[in-house]
Amino acid sequence: MGMTAIIAKLAVRAVRVLIVEVPGQWLTRVELEDQMLRRGWRRAWAPADADVLAVCGTPGPELTPLVDRLWEQMPGPRVRANMCSSSTVSSALNDAATLYVDTDQHAKDARERAQEPQIPHDDMDHSGHGSHDHSGMEDSGHDHMSHSGHDGMDHDNHTGMHHNGHGEIDHSGADHMNHSGNDSMDHDEVDHDSHADMHHNGDDHMDHSGHNGHGGMDHSGLEDSGHDHSGHGGMDHSGHGGMDMSPGGIPLAQGGPDRDGLEMDVLHLPLGPVLAYWPAGLVLDCTLQGDVVVDSEASIVDGRDHEHSLHVFAPDLRAALLCDNVMALLALAGADDLAARARQARDCLLRGDHTAALDRLERLIRTIRRSWLLRWSLQGVLVLEQVDLHRHSLPASCRGDAYDRMLRTLARIQAAVGGAGPMIDDDVSWQVLPNLVTGLELATLRLAVASVNLRLHPTTQGGKA
Amino acid sequence: MLIGIAFWVLAVIAVATGLAVFVVNSMARATYALAVSFIAVGVQILLLQQNYLGLITILMMVMEMAVMAVYMVMFMGMNPALMPMDMTHGKKTAIATSVGVFVLLAGGALLIPWPQRRGSPPADLTHALGLEIMGEKMLVMAVVGAVMVATIVAGVVLASHRTRYDRFGDDLRHRRVNDAQPGGGKQ
Amino acid sequence: MTDSGLVTVSAGWAVVAGAILCSLAVFAIALDTGLTARAQGARGGWTTIAGRFARLLRQRRRTTVAADTMLWRAGGVGMFIGAFFMVAVIPLGQWTLADLDVGVVWLNTIDVLVWALVWLTGWGANSTYSLIGGYRFLAHGLAYELPLMFALVAPAIAAGSLNVGAVAAAQDDDLWFVVWMPVAFLIYLIGVMGFSVWGPFAAAVATDITGGAGTELSAVDRLVFHAGRYLFLAAGAAFSVPLFLGGGAGPWLPDWTWVLIKTLAVLAVLVWSRRKIPLMRPDRFMTIGWTLLLPAIVVQDLVVSVLVVWKG
Repeated sequence: MGMTAIIAKLAVRAVRVLIVEVPGQWLTRVELEDQMLRRGWRRAWAPADADVLAVCGTPGPELTPLVDRLWEQMPGPRVRANMCSSSTVSSALNDAATLYVDTDQHAKDARERAQEPQIPHDDMDHSGHGSHDHSGMEDSGHDHMSHSGHDGMDHDNHTGMHHNGHGEIDHSGADHMNHSGNDSMDHDEVDHDSHADMHHNGDDHMDHSGHNGHGGMDHSGLEDSGHDHSGHGGMDHSGHGGMDMSPGGIPLAQGGPDRDGLEMDVLHLPLGPVLAYWPAGLVLDCTLQGDVVVDSEASIVDGRDHEHSLHVFAPDLRAALLCDNVMALLALAGADDLAARARQARDCLLRGDHTAALDRLERLIRTIRRSWLLRWSLQGVLVLEQVDLHRHSLPASCRGDAYDRMLRTLARIQAAVGGAGPMIDDDVSWQVLPNLVTGLELATLRLAVASVNLRLHPTTQGGKA
Repeated sequence: MLIGIAFWVLAVIAVATGLAVFVVNSMARATYALAVSFIAVGVQILLLQQNYLGLITILMMVMEMAVMAVYMVMFMGMNPALMPMDMTHGKKTAIATSVGVFVLLAGGALLIPWPQRRGSPPADLTHALGLEIMGEKMLVMAVVGAVMVATIVAGVVLASHRTRYDRFGDDLRHRRVNDAQPGGGKQ
Repeated sequence: MTDSGLVTVSAGWAVVAGAILCSLAVFAIALDTGLTARAQGARGGWTTIAGRFARLLRQRRRTTVAADTMLWRAGGVGMFIGAFFMVAVIPLGQWTLADLDVGVVWLNTIDVLVWALVWLTGWGANSTYSLIGGYRFLAHGLAYELPLMFALVAPAIAAGSLNVGAVAAAQDDDLWFVVWMPVAFLIYLIGVMGFSVWGPFAAAVATDITGGAGTELSAVDRLVFHAGRYLFLAAGAAFSVPLFLGGGAGPWLPDWTWVLIKTLAVLAVLVWSRRKIPLMRPDRFMTIGWTLLLPAIVVQDLVVSVLVVWKG
């Protein structure tokens, strides 16, 4: 008993917290971060590393099952802390700390919970189209378990098939839960040209123009590569009649042409809604080839519930929100010290301490301008020229790359805090996001998303991207 | 005595993991079974007091297997080994070839009249071995190395369908390189 | 076997060497935690090390659906023990555990094993973020490994030996190698951060992919994996001392103290640099590695070779 208690006492000083931020509850998250800092608690990036699941706000019907899924994935000892508003954060964390050291309770929890990791059964739809049903991934939110899969065989039959499904379902499907597109299951050869068209519709603004030019020509070669590949892989084709099934009930990945014109598997990965330094509530369903996002679709979790929430805050609040965005971008770029300064500036703004905030902003901007490595890292991330702004109807403040935008945002915060009047609300609608980020590599995508100030609470009816 | 035991243990590991390459049903496991096999062989070379060659063998083979993983993602996608798959193909030819080669090598090793050691081994075995193999042709070897690297680079350049005109524009004067995935040099 | 004048101690001393390495790693963690806390405006920080350790010991291990558990765990355990092998050939003043004639190649071989280990950790979990992390490491590896190899060549050429003790001894009555091969030293430090998956080279375990290769690790698996990173950082720092910083050379104090002092200094610089340098994005660093570092280090090797030949 003694030893266990001592270890628990020590461990509670280094608890890691997985933060779920319900859209609109960012102030609760800020308060939570503040309280965590005082306790020496740190943020967890994934459920595997989390001891406390902190839910800021009341999750809606779509977010609730995702939160439960995250809870399932936590290794334990695990504590769930619900904080409806910033005023309850402190008490919720106190309770969490008390529960965390209660070893007996955790032992009981460990006995009672599922002993093996599982994919929730609603994902395991193998009725004849298992390999094409990515619903397990689409709705799993943060679920890391169910993303992967592989079609180890028979590429030449299925190459075309997938493209079809990819185009018809993933691109246009309004309801991303509904992937039971059996109509795309025909094993006939599919017109690759039409696929090429579909594929490039979404991302013709990107650097894929070279790819576009090859169009149909390349696709004959692509057939070969698929074929070669199954030959070289040396897989036993005969024994795999039941290709729908795969280990653990994970749907298999399908192939698709990558940007170099080679056959490459695609994988589905939803970014968000629970992801650190990511706009709360935003879900970007990405189709990955390697770590390049070849297709994406944006949505807002519990979108309907948040129509009433006001977007335009008080000027200070808005400046603090922008500061929070800059902090996220800096943290993603790996500039931890600078991110910490942006965070301090944000907290000063929220306390209403303008002098300290201005001082911190000043120093932050100076250091950022001096850091050529940071510039090197952010330069060229999501470059938006005048034509791009026009095409996606973006505000002028988005011009340039991530580095330009960050400095511009900081200058605007500085001006607003300095008393230059309220900021214009020219945030970018989340609906344009897929058009902007498709074709980027995953790390670049994270930086790109963090570099635009997104409007997440629709002032109009939220539609599809 | 100790070296004898180590030799036999390593020999068994090398052969067993070598066999495992064909038995396991996942590409990652096959790859790293092969790596372990090579590591065992590398340690055996260490036992022969060829420290440099032994370590280089381990180094190269482990790196090679890691690079193989890069090729896995290039040609097979992200997680190809999840699906259990048979790691063998062309079985009859392969078995015939491998049995033939084995008989040839093992027969050779057993039947050759190995010479008796005359004199004592030189102090630096690796150095002596290098001289024996390469001797006066060291310059040629060094040049061949450079030519091989050049060949690899040229091969990659030729295989790429994107030329410098695609990247730098028709007059080769674009400052911003038009790449699908920009690198870090010229921005 | 060699004439480096080192005393090879018995294998039992490996325990002491391991303990020293662990202390160095703890120092690195404490320094990093302290610096982080200071940057965030919090107090203390470094006192939570015991807490972090206890937390991971108390946590339960977990698996994921269809994980390749054998390869996954092998990756983590390998990360933990790799660094201990690395320090076996580092002379602590007069003493060394193994006076290997090709000690420099030994370092290189162990650091290449990290390629396999990080990738296996990323792969085995069967999770997308984790796998992307594994591949990111390979991308970094392809960029830093060749410059690192050439950086290791420079002191070996200058000393005319691959034996670590001989390399250190070659600097005894001479300038330290760091003075006349600064590029090699710099690139060596980049390589150390690379194979430790540390700081600017931590893209494989970065936040944007929720911890990358380590995403799915918990409890003792997480402990050994991340402890391994710190151990490698410490071992890499320790190796820089005989290679570039004159080994045990220094006034007044015994030579083994100097080795430790120099190691701590290099380690502190490495830990501190994380705060000042943003992540080297693997896609962009590839160009840097091949078009900047590689030519630079080849020129450095050339300069070193010419100087060595010229001096006779």
